[in-house]
Amino acid sequence: MRTALITGLTGQDGSLLAKLLLQRDYRVIGAVRRSTSANRWRLEELGIDRHEHLTLVPFDLLDADGVRRLLQDFHPDEIYNLAGQSSVSASFDEPLLTLQAAGAAVLQMLESIRRLDPKIRFLQASSAEMFGLPRSAPQDEDTPLCPRTPYGAAKTYAHWMTSSYRDNYGLFGCSAIMYNHESSLRSREFVTRKITDSVAKIRLGRLDCLWLGRLDSRRDWGYAPDYVQAMHRMMQADTPATYVLATGRATSIREFASIAFRAADIEIEFGGTGLNETAVDRKSGRTVIQIDPALYRPVEAEQLVGNAARARAALGWEPSMPLDRICAEMVAADLRRNAAGASL
Amino acid sequence: MPTKQKVALITGVTGQDGAYLAEFLLDKGYQVHGIRRRASIFNTGRIEHLVHDPHEPGPRFELHYADLTDSTSLIRVLEQVQPDELYNLAAQSHVAVSFEEPEYTGNTDALGALRLLEAIRILGLLRKTRFYQASTSELFGMARESPQRETTPFHPRSPYAVAKLYAHWITINYREAYGLYACNGILFNHESPLRGETFVTRKITRALARIRLGQQQCVHLGNLEARRDWGHARDYVEMQWLMLQQDRPDDYVIATGQSHSVREFVELAAARIGIVLAWEGHGADQVGRVESCVGDAPLARGSVLVRLDPRYFRASEVDALLGDASKARAKLGWSPKTRFEDLVHEMMDADLEAARRESLVRGHGYPASDRRQ
Repeated sequence: MRTALITGLTGQDGSLLAKLLLQRDYRVIGAVRRSTSANRWRLEELGIDRHEHLTLVPFDLLDADGVRRLLQDFHPDEIYNLAGQSSVSASFDEPLLTLQAAGAAVLQMLESIRRLDPKIRFLQASSAEMFGLPRSAPQDEDTPLCPRTPYGAAKTYAHWMTSSYRDNYGLFGCSAIMYNHESSLRSREFVTRKITDSVAKIRLGRLDCLWLGRLDSRRDWGYAPDYVQAMHRMMQADTPATYVLATGRATSIREFASIAFRAADIEIEFGGTGLNETAVDRKSGRTVIQIDPALYRPVEAEQLVGNAARARAALGWEPSMPLDRICAEMVAADLRRNAAGASL
Repeated sequence: MPTKQKVALITGVTGQDGAYLAEFLLDKGYQVHGIRRRASIFNTGRIEHLVHDPHEPGPRFELHYADLTDSTSLIRVLEQVQPDELYNLAAQSHVAVSFEEPEYTGNTDALGALRLLEAIRILGLLRKTRFYQASTSELFGMARESPQRETTPFHPRSPYAVAKLYAHWITINYREAYGLYACNGILFNHESPLRGETFVTRKITRALARIRLGQQQCVHLGNLEARRDWGHARDYVEMQWLMLQQDRPDDYVIATGQSHSVREFVELAAARIGIVLAWEGHGADQVGRVESCVGDAPLARGSVLVRLDPRYFRASEVDALLGDASKARAKLGWSPKTRFEDLVHEMMDADLEAARRESLVRGHGYPASDRRQ
């Protein structure tokens, strides 16, 4: 039985990946930050929270000894590093913590692998935020990295460190440069889930209006279960590499919101411009979307669209779901949860 | 000079660039503050001549204890000094050491720069303090084009370069997100007699001087074919200052535009002290022998001065770094003043002088300190 260690197991990707690996007969060790608030709702929704081959161990990215201990105690074959402060906007408030968790901790993992067991395979969850304000679209593995946020800069640090340990020491280190990938397990601080959750609440009459930032921002949104499958394939390949994972299609936040409302049987219409842009429910005439300039990012990454040709060719990977179906699945889950009185 | 005296704060003031920059700014009439780490060994050798007697009135140069790994110490010094210009030259700056101490390198070079930027933001100095970040040609690493300019994509290959690249991006981020006047100087190698003794250029001139005077047999080097764009540190600090005097902040490559191999450096330095070298053998077995030697007490023809040691080959070598400083030339009106030959000669002369002093001291029965202060 192969053993996989996943950091960030309680997050969207971590829980989806855990499920995938458990289905493939892995023993899964989840390294999770200790907290007095339960944060296992995703594992519960996926039905794996009591799985006999899943072990959760307390772990903090800022604790260098913790990494060594995990390696010595569990001898993993594969390590998926999905943990980290993952919010771009929070990285402006906590840039130091962001670099320590998203960057410096990766170095500790790589060092521990090199010293204790260089055969361990390592996957670093990288991000399209590393491209920053790209000069050309779509971006692929050869596009220069120009991060423009503390989060993007920290992720770039981890990415290059992974590639440096691969080049210098021959470690099996993969970097998955992932564009936005969503699911009903997305955390509500991300705009897609914030939209679907709010749409569900508006549909149920528990919320009047959804406040958003820049509606013109466009993102390449994929389906998170597809992305964790790609991560697993990267780790089974003969050689380690960097891969872009993306759908190749960008959609605006305005359009995503329209799709989400439609999935809840609400047709909306946008009017006005800039900060005064709003959307109203066609049927009732109620205003359901307004703009909050506080949600504008200090620096916005534009035209982020990925080209996943390498993953397609080398891993046989394809995105499986169009955005309207992803969105509909998210809205359905949020309608169900909110109707049941759960706030997740 | 403007009516009000300008105040500069330099991190890494005890290093090569810090010493030259402090001297340069004092000449410009600045009040200069420097940050030093506490050590039980004197680490102020390069700036001793600048340190003012605290009993005399109006010192314009002042040292403070602080450390880039300690946020509170940085905030305290910045609050006290309220600098108009902050030059972040402090770093674990040795590429090979970064493979041994990758975490410390990241903590100092990447997190350290961020701690300074955060201190500026926290103290409300975003509109007052101009920030200079010492970036490096190592960011280009496995360079995609030659020569390298500001638009060349980065591909760092060492923990040092990866950490410095973070500092580079976060500096740009604070410029774009908060309007801080912040510049990156992407400096190619710059040397001088004040260069640290573990850097290859200084290691060569110091060893050759000692060999010439019979204090040492031989020097062990790494990749002789590695090519670098070597300028003089004294020329480059002027550039650092110029970047902070513009209407708008920007990033600049600073380089001579000429590259030379380590082998050329060795040959030129040896020739300066009358030694002609002949190379023999291949790969790691290659040696440099004395072909001829002039002057007093000449070295024996055929004796081996240079050997290679695989330990000094980098895990992933950055082969050829060559910079294109056209932008700095056009926008800042800057060009390097010192020629490569003159740089090598200046370093060789200074180290020969130091070695002679050591011989003299030893000749009189005193222990010679290894450190030239």
